[in-house]
Amino acid sequence: MPTFYLDDSEIPFTDGETILEAAMSAGRYIPHLCWRPELEPHSSCRLCTVTINGRPFSSCTQPALKGQKVECDTPALLAMRRAVIQMLFVEGNHHCPCCEKSGACKLQATAYLLGMQDSHFHHRFPVRMRDLSHEGVSLDRDRCIRCEICVRASRALDGKNVFAIHGRGIESNLAVNSPSGLLKGSAISPDDAAVRLCPTGALIAKGRGFESPIGLRAYDREPLSSIELREYQARRAVHD
Amino acid sequence: MIQLAGTALVGILEEALDRHGKSPQAALQVLMSVQRALHHVPDEAVEYLSSRLSLPPVRLRGLVSFYSFLSRTPQGEYVVHLSDNITDQMRGSRKLGDALCERLGVRLGETRSDLRTSVHRTSCIGMADQGPAALVNYRPVTRLDDQRVGLIADLINARVRLEEWPPEFFRVESNIRRSDVIFRKPIEPGAALRASLDRGGKNLEAWEEDLAPTDARRHQLERGGAETLKEIYRAELRGRGGAGFHAGIKWQSVREAARDDRYVLCNADEGEPGAFKDRVLLTDFADMVFEGMTVCGHVVGARKGIVYVRQEYAYLHDHLQGVLERRRARGLLGTNILGSPLDFDIELHFGAGAYICGMETAMIKSIEGRRGIPRRRWPLPVHQGYLKAPTVVNNVETFACAAAISARGGAWFAGIGTPQSTGTRLFCLSGDCERPGTYEYPMGVTIREILRDCGALDAQGIQVGGPSGALINRGDFDRAVCFEDLPGVGAMMVFGPKRDLFDAITNFALFFQHESCGLCTPCRVGTTLLANYVKKFERGVGSPVDIAEVKHISSLMKNMAHCGLGQSASNHLMDSLQKFPHIWESRMKTQEFVPAFDLDWALEEARSLTGRTDPAAHLPARP
Ligand SMILES: Cc1cc2nc3c(=O)[nH]c(=O)nc-3n(C[C@H](O)[C@H](O)[C@H](O)COP(=O)(O)O)c2cc1C
Ligand code: SF4
Ligand code: SF4
Ligand code: FES
Repeated sequence: MPTFYLDDSEIPFTDGETILEAAMSAGRYIPHLCWRPELEPHSSCRLCTVTINGRPFSSCTQPALKGQKVECDTPALLAMRRAVIQMLFVEGNHHCPCCEKSGACKLQATAYLLGMQDSHFHHRFPVRMRDLSHEGVSLDRDRCIRCEICVRASRALDGKNVFAIHGRGIESNLAVNSPSGLLKGSAISPDDAAVRLCPTGALIAKGRGFESPIGLRAYDREPLSSIELREYQARRAVHD
Repeated sequence: MIQLAGTALVGILEEALDRHGKSPQAALQVLMSVQRALHHVPDEAVEYLSSRLSLPPVRLRGLVSFYSFLSRTPQGEYVVHLSDNITDQMRGSRKLGDALCERLGVRLGETRSDLRTSVHRTSCIGMADQGPAALVNYRPVTRLDDQRVGLIADLINARVRLEEWPPEFFRVESNIRRSDVIFRKPIEPGAALRASLDRGGKNLEAWEEDLAPTDARRHQLERGGAETLKEIYRAELRGRGGAGFHAGIKWQSVREAARDDRYVLCNADEGEPGAFKDRVLLTDFADMVFEGMTVCGHVVGARKGIVYVRQEYAYLHDHLQGVLERRRARGLLGTNILGSPLDFDIELHFGAGAYICGMETAMIKSIEGRRGIPRRRWPLPVHQGYLKAPTVVNNVETFACAAAISARGGAWFAGIGTPQSTGTRLFCLSGDCERPGTYEYPMGVTIREILRDCGALDAQGIQVGGPSGALINRGDFDRAVCFEDLPGVGAMMVFGPKRDLFDAITNFALFFQHESCGLCTPCRVGTTLLANYVKKFERGVGSPVDIAEVKHISSLMKNMAHCGLGQSASNHLMDSLQKFPHIWESRMKTQEFVPAFDLDWALEEARSLTGRTDPAAHLPARP
């Protein structure tokens, strides 16, 4: 099997695998938010950025190459990843203590993982439309990081096409495919992968509040990285 | 289904569909036609078109919300887009805009209650050498001054049709001030193609006798393409659109691709503020551009070419169609070009207002009728481009050079310029210079020489290559413009000795904030944070802490942004900190950090909503 170097460790890979996939298979976690193993990569959050010969690449899209030396956990890259997470926090409104997703939120867990202590940048305090119209699913756009996991999952996994991104730049926003633009009247259902895979509290299945108490939720019990590595390796075992 | 204007609306929509077709790729073209006809894209239109184009309404609304020239709410029957580049501002565009709004009785960005008119600001419209400029119903009006603005207001108020406006309002000059070996004497239409075809051997007899004549002719065609590719390599032609990638390598990859459907795309988005050379090429040298594309089609084995023209240049539509028609009539386009088995034709495709659509994968998406969001880096367009087919994307000037190379040989081209930057290059001079316009020089020309020729030797600084390029000062004037030294597209905005360069960087920071596509975190959020820091200094309350923060965000964007826009969106800030530190320092009141938040500024929105300007609407100034 060909290998490449991720910092100091030698990582085996199969042809066509990305750096991120190979690293995950080998038990090395590279932080990521917009990547999901079951979906096409998107390279939008940029958290997974690594450098090769000093040049940055998103590891979720960059194919692994034999003998390549990839730097991943350098102090500079760790600091930049932390700053990217801080940007996501100030862009939206993330009031973790009163968010139902707290403890099971990938954004929050990644912030902990990267040692984020404060939000550093100026808060934007956006006011974006919240959508509580649907009986089973709620959408809080102020928590949305525009990773488009729901957009991709709705198409590829749910066989629907419930979400899209509208607007441009800082004004871009999650849009719902329904005559009124509201979740009510769309094809969404609380069991959709689109809802389940949303990494933040933007999309939440209603009526399940506090099923487990704060402090005992997924990432409270086990770090995000070890959960995801385990899941990824189990998934690979099935697919190989 | 349609209640409002009923059959009239359906008529307009059907006409747009007839003109552009009903494929998904037509979506953006159709919406732009609707916008022009109805001055917005009403929800009823989206619904109707959605079923006719077989695309969900959410997809069409996504387009309307992404492109600057599309709007969901009604704009005026006379819609004015004021070019808001720094070069326009330097010639008083902001004041002229205010005067126009006042005479029209309308607020910027809003539509007059009788729906007659609306006035908006837009990014540079490619007329920096003859600004201040504006688009009126998407037609450029140049050289605005008080008198012209007054007349425009009168004409709009009197509802005079654009066809009856004084024609000199719409005059666009090419302003070619200096030409060199490529554009002084453009090649004759057909010369480059004939040379390319002839490289395969002039007559059939030379071919092996056991080949049927059609096969022999195919082989000839094939060999001609291979030989022309060698000329492109020999010329060492590098892209003129920004990155300077070798055209030969790109063409060869597409030529060798395993699929039969291949495309040649010409990038005429020219969104870089201060650039206008592609406009000049499309105006005066369209034959050469189309011929370069056709030669490329010959080399790579493509049958179709598309020119992606920014909406700001849509006024060239009839002219360009006319040139294409003439070429078809002369056997230079279509089937059996010049009697050979070569088939190739060219279509025009128009943008709808988005700088990012100049970035090649965003442009491909836009041509496919989607939002112009850059794709992930792999696979490259040469492997999977337009409609997933192997695709060449080159700049307008690159194709014009390719035509010259095919006609006159690669060695000739390689003999011009410097070793790593062959040929000549078009420069767009604007700002504080005596003779703004287009200048052709061999690559490697120094800044000083250009400044001497255009009459700007007293300049304090120049933005080379547009806002994403480099801001240089007098210490750089002996540097050469070429890929080895100062690269970037040929836009040069000159700032005279009396200018406050902070105005320029403010303009650029807002430009990038407005044009970021929003896909990736560092650019989407970073451009906004940077714009806010610049505004903070504009208010005179910056501090060294804020400068450190600007540098921090800039380095983050350079390293982490997905595409060239975000990676270069802070160049002007970094350059100005290094080369013109005083413009920042003079805006620092203190060495201590001052919060950006200020109670009085926070009331600004309330004041503007209530129209209050009186002292009682302000809080006492901070001690
Ligand atoms: C934000 C951005 C805007 C761009 N705008 C243009 C443009 O307006 N015209 C252009 O030819 N290339 C533009 N480019 C470069 C294109 O991506 C691409 O490299 C170029 O069209 C290739 O043609 P060339 O090799 O002939 O230069 C832009 C790139 C970026 C990142
Ligand atoms: S709603 Fe969730 S999954 Fe969808 S884009 Fe926003 S954060 Fe991502
Ligand atoms: S760098 Fe900016 S323009 Fe480019 S993909 Fe990211 S958000 Fe879009
Ligand atoms: S995980 Fe790679 S960019 Fe988001």
